[in-house]
Amino acid sequence: MAAYAGAALLLFFALCATGLILSSLFRGKYASLAIAWFGTLCSIVLMAAAGLRLAAGADFQLNLWTLNGFGTLSLHLDALSAIFLFVAGLVYLSCCLFAPDYLSRDGHPAGRYGLLHFALMASVVLILTAGDVLTFLISWECMSILCYLLVNYEQGPEGDSTAGYIMLAMSEAGFLAVVIAFLIAGNAAGGYSFGVLRMGAAHLSGTATWGVFLLGFLGFGVKAGLVPLNFWLPRSYTAAPPVFIPVFAGVTLNLGFYGILRLNADLVPGHGIGPGLVALVIGAVTALVGILYATTENDLKTMLAHSSIENAGIIAAGIGAFLVFRNSGNAVPAALALIAALYHMLNHSTYKALLYQGAGHIEAATGTRDMDRLGGLIRSLPALSIVFLAGCLAIAAVPPFNGFVSEWLTLQTFLRSALLPSAAVKIIFALSGAILALTAALAVTCFVKTYAMSFLGTPRSNWESNAEFARRPRFSLILLAVACVLLGVLPTYVIPALNRAVEPLAGANATASLVPPFFTATQANQQLPPAFLADFHNLGAQTGARWVPGRGLVILLRGGEQNPVVFAMSPSYSVVALTILLLLAWFVTSRLTRRRSLVKNEVWAGGIPTLLPEMTYTATGFSNPVRVVFQAIFRPNIVEDTRETVAVHFRTAIRRRRDETHLVDRLFFHPVGTIVNSVARLLAGMHHGRLNAYVAYVLGFLILILVLYRVG
Amino acid sequence: MGERRMTLTDSSIANTQKINPQRYDAQSLAAAIEQRFASAVSPSANEESRFDRTLIVTQPEALPSLAQFLFWDAGCSFGGLIVEEREEWILRYVFRIPGDGWIHFILRLPLATRTVPSISAQIHAADWYEREAEDLFGLEFEEHPRLGDFILHDQVWQEGLAPMRKAFDAGQTHLKKRPKEDWHPVLVVQDPGAFAMPVGPVYEGGIGESVHFLLETVGEDVIRAVPRLFYNYRAVEKIAEGKSVLDALLLAERFSAKSAFAHSLAYCQAVEKIFEQQVPLRARSLRVALAELERLRHHAGAIAAICQSTALTVSEAHAAIVEEQLLRASCAFAGHRYLFGLNTPGGLRRDFDAQNCRNLLGTVDTTSRQLHRLEERLRYSSSFLDRLEDVGIISQESARDLDLVGPLGRASGLAHDLRRACPYGGYERYRFEVPCEKEGDGFARLRVLFSEAQQSAKLIHQAVESLEPGEICAPVTQPSAGAASGWVEAPIGAAMHWIRLDREQKVERYRILSPSFRNWLGLHVAVEDFAFQDFPIILATFGLSASECDR
Amino acid sequence: MSSWFWHGVRRGIQTTRYPGAPETAAGVSPGRPLPTTFASPEQAFQAASNCPVGAISASKNIASVDLRTCVWCQRCHFGSSNLLNWDEGYEWAQTPATKKDYSALHSAFGQSLHVMVVDAGDCGACLHEVKQLNNPLYNMHRLGIFLTATPRTADVLLVVGPVSENMRGPLLKTYEAMPDPKRVLAVGTCAITGGVFGKSFMSAGGVGMVLPVDVEVLGDPPPPLAILHGLLVVAGRKKPTTAPTQSREEA
Repeated sequence: MAAYAGAALLLFFALCATGLILSSLFRGKYASLAIAWFGTLCSIVLMAAAGLRLAAGADFQLNLWTLNGFGTLSLHLDALSAIFLFVAGLVYLSCCLFAPDYLSRDGHPAGRYGLLHFALMASVVLILTAGDVLTFLISWECMSILCYLLVNYEQGPEGDSTAGYIMLAMSEAGFLAVVIAFLIAGNAAGGYSFGVLRMGAAHLSGTATWGVFLLGFLGFGVKAGLVPLNFWLPRSYTAAPPVFIPVFAGVTLNLGFYGILRLNADLVPGHGIGPGLVALVIGAVTALVGILYATTENDLKTMLAHSSIENAGIIAAGIGAFLVFRNSGNAVPAALALIAALYHMLNHSTYKALLYQGAGHIEAATGTRDMDRLGGLIRSLPALSIVFLAGCLAIAAVPPFNGFVSEWLTLQTFLRSALLPSAAVKIIFALSGAILALTAALAVTCFVKTYAMSFLGTPRSNWESNAEFARRPRFSLILLAVACVLLGVLPTYVIPALNRAVEPLAGANATASLVPPFFTATQANQQLPPAFLADFHNLGAQTGARWVPGRGLVILLRGGEQNPVVFAMSPSYSVVALTILLLLAWFVTSRLTRRRSLVKNEVWAGGIPTLLPEMTYTATGFSNPVRVVFQAIFRPNIVEDTRETVAVHFRTAIRRRRDETHLVDRLFFHPVGTIVNSVARLLAGMHHGRLNAYVAYVLGFLILILVLYRVG
Repeated sequence: MGERRMTLTDSSIANTQKINPQRYDAQSLAAAIEQRFASAVSPSANEESRFDRTLIVTQPEALPSLAQFLFWDAGCSFGGLIVEEREEWILRYVFRIPGDGWIHFILRLPLATRTVPSISAQIHAADWYEREAEDLFGLEFEEHPRLGDFILHDQVWQEGLAPMRKAFDAGQTHLKKRPKEDWHPVLVVQDPGAFAMPVGPVYEGGIGESVHFLLETVGEDVIRAVPRLFYNYRAVEKIAEGKSVLDALLLAERFSAKSAFAHSLAYCQAVEKIFEQQVPLRARSLRVALAELERLRHHAGAIAAICQSTALTVSEAHAAIVEEQLLRASCAFAGHRYLFGLNTPGGLRRDFDAQNCRNLLGTVDTTSRQLHRLEERLRYSSSFLDRLEDVGIISQESARDLDLVGPLGRASGLAHDLRRACPYGGYERYRFEVPCEKEGDGFARLRVLFSEAQQSAKLIHQAVESLEPGEICAPVTQPSAGAASGWVEAPIGAAMHWIRLDREQKVERYRILSPSFRNWLGLHVAVEDFAFQDFPIILATFGLSASECDR
Repeated sequence: MSSWFWHGVRRGIQTTRYPGAPETAAGVSPGRPLPTTFASPEQAFQAASNCPVGAISASKNIASVDLRTCVWCQRCHFGSSNLLNWDEGYEWAQTPATKKDYSALHSAFGQSLHVMVVDAGDCGACLHEVKQLNNPLYNMHRLGIFLTATPRTADVLLVVGPVSENMRGPLLKTYEAMPDPKRVLAVGTCAITGGVFGKSFMSAGGVGMVLPVDVEVLGDPPPPLAILHGLLVVAGRKKPTTAPTQSREEA
């Protein structure tokens, strides 16, 4: 079976190459068709490869060729890679279905986009299936450069490429850190293939392990969007073209987490709980900062970028919890934490891609992204409003969508803090859990605002509506929405799949501890005694055992002897119960009100003749309380300029401009920039143009080398 | 009218430094005016100056600088603008010299004139008077920053109606109203995320007068509150024209019933001047007692409204009980709960016997004691004070700038009271204090209300206990034509009624300068930059009446 | 804070017992003029000319009053010659003569009536009397009558004022926003016939010119007990009264 997975992988590369050649050869409409068809095929093959590997249970290894001094370049497809490949394939599938409409409208040469698109796809897959350091690093660098090119895809010669440039600079900085981390690890292990590194991790000293962790975590954290390294993310997400940004948010963000997991959980696991705590705290802070800025942001794309930062924080916190639990000997909670993190990553890719595509759709249909100027789209874009609502509900963690499951699992891991060794660690855990709960609440606010201000109410400005564009069906959106629902309603099928990657890393079987075998109760499970199972049978936990395959439909967590509480939930049954209740309510209401007439009247507004758009709530107004409460973080400078006034009584115009510097910019980016600039200015003192001094530099350096050679 | 850009320089900044202007009395003021505005102002010799001190402004261009001198240099208070259409336009600007009565400035313009220089830049309190004149008479005031959409709402009424002009027939009931489809309110805040939350006119969670507010905000704080009034406009001044004196007296009582006695008193005093009636002493004392009874009852109601707005229900209940007892006492004493039908030109229409007076005094004593105890308890309710202190502040400079009157002005440090400044109707014989506070916030206004209520109780005692037997009404001996003004310190503030009677003693022009019309200007100064939740409280502490403003 | 409770309780129950028992405190109602028999037709004619709004009409030697036009100016009560008799009492709610098919609300509303109050140009007196119904001395809550902030949950539209033209639109919108079944209660002379403001370009001349009125409460202003009576009539708990046609001496 593993061989089939490998064959699929190679087929993917072949298709990718073909697609690349074809799309760069063709022009215009044919190029975008080529992208669509070949991209779809590639994505399906990729998902098949991932699925085959997960079903197979054995790794696929392919050695490419051996280089002198660098070891063997190889491909290695294991369960962790397979999960990330599946997510990438799903997101790419939706993007390829979505791309042709956009590419043909833009006027940009689709062929160039095809070239970059397939090249990026190939490099992403190479990163995920790299078996040694060199393959990994080369494909990572290719991915960074291709991302830069794609972010600036829409900018013409006079466009603003600052955002892409900052992203590239940060990517390179992160890449440097990662290279150093791998060098340290490889030096201690004596080789650079992943297998050698894994075995050689034991030889690393404590300091070196910390060094590898910090460099690796922060270096990959740049790509993953963690504070304080994520100031490039909102800028470049806003600048990226709508055809590319779902990939950006759904695939490349995950590469950062893949790197963190590969390096810090798999290859160089470490022994203390310090690294885990660092990851946990950074994750929690990232989540809070991300959602705060998302709630107060009015531009749809920037708001979604900040929301991606928030989700990245949640995933990082989950990974941190996993590291802490694993290194303190609690394997089962560690497995739970990693399941939560991977599930959240999967969910985030799905609903974020959906939301970004929806936002792109809105921008194409109305010409604006500003929520303060939208409104009433539910009437002009009814189909989009349904799928966008699904995306908003999913990201706000409302059952029965997928966000609920991963939030629930994440918060459950934080409730396990009683198992931890020391009080200080427990406190940090509890605080991080509280911060994550706060971000969950703020996320609801943020997306209620998004949906209500964009779709409900009356239009706040006039825009040219592109009706013909609006009417075309969007299969990509429907696909992602269906995926959101399925991932939310059938979690007990997703968890065993994720468990294939989690079990080797955490050392415990997550399926066994999360999904009780209510359907297959005859198979004994040492963690759940039969009497316990019988209790749940009485509650109906085995309903559907005869028609639905699998272990069961209930997710259940059992505390230990000190904490004999049971946490259980089942979105599958909840959906059924909810549907029945809704049908019942509809039936009863329609019977009771059969003889009543329905009178439609306009909104009651105090008796004024018409309710004008300027009298309805704006997005800024809705989120102002959050801005006011967290003023210490936002620190806005309110510049009240140009009051055209004769006197206090005769003001004709009040304009208040709010200047805000992002917290991370204020605390990290700007100080670092200032330091770098001052160092550069110091060094620039060396370049004064006097030839004699330059000759003296060369002489001095030569003497230094000779001395060192003599000494060393 | 469209929005206009103000091109004059900001003169208010220099003016705020002149809080303590030079004191003039009437003679020295006339001399100073003659010195400075020799060519522009001349004394009036004819019958216009029979009852009121009058000066004629011969050059309209001098009007703004004259207004500047009077208001800021001489410290005069602006009474109002009275516009008449006779053979020519007669614009009468009323000023009050501090401590020495009123002075009127008349500007005569040919009927064909359409534009008049505006004094709004110098006297901000004149802003609404000029807007009213523009809406009702069709006069344009040059360089007024905001004309139009005032009394006759733009969204509902046609342009150019000018209903107060003689040619307009008040009886037409089927005026075509062309609603404006593309009407938008003029908003001041130009933030991208700003919106204007509409409140009213059918509003206020239960019972409230019909006022429409647009609260401009960006979310938490109200940046600007724009009231749109005149939903209760019944054109009292127009339908009074042609009525007999006694019929118009009904209108004077009934356009704002909570100050009915005060307004009817002002009306009767104006008519008594024209008819040269001497009101007997007994009638004057009783009038003082009744006016103060009305003030006591009105203030009890205002206190109840403030307590209701802060949701301290027990104190609201106590104050409401006091008010109801005073209403019942008014009915038992005078026959009507709101004291309708008592005043008539020459005195009162009925007399009161000693037992009646004693009962009244008993009730007044009980209620003033209850109010005193309520005030003591409220001083110790910190949650209540939190909602009032430092909320809705009007500084003394702003109050002087906008020339606020009544308890509202007195809470911001403007110690003006017509009963002291221009004594009328017998007040000069009684001893009372005029309470004044400095802070200008909600708590200061509440304290002023309580103190004035106690002073009113004292005045009622003095008036009733000093009653001498005598006539209750002076007969009309020589009815004649003419124009005169009567003023009164109504519970909400200084009010003036100005009447011109023709030869058959029918009303030719009836002008009401009401205190609520002045004090609404202060609302958006107080409301600026306070949270939404404070808005109803600030509104309640103002104690304004929409029907008194709208007439 | 807790002392407020003590002070409230110490005052005791001050509420009137109406409609259980008639209210006899002084000053609760100004009373209203009655038809009066005079000694001669000239005196009746003199009595009628006292009235500035023409509410009194004389036929033979009886002067009768149209209470729907009376503005309670008291000129037939004191201060003139040939005064009319006045009675006490406050149950003054009636149905308009034009409304032949008046029916009160269903008995379900009898103990739970929600009232929307609209000020359509009122002078402030009628509105203030309505407000007094909330104070402890009258306390309409004990009868199940409540004020609502929005017409969507209202059963009764209580209108005061002669309907100034600026309020005509908002008043109509309020009426249309109320769901069925609904009733309109016009309180005060201004709301019934326009009062002293009458019909003009700025005043519609009564609520009846704008909306179908179900119950009218006479008075200028009607005292709170009269308004309470009107609300009870709308709720079906009391019958509407008819105007007195006989003078007191003959009755």
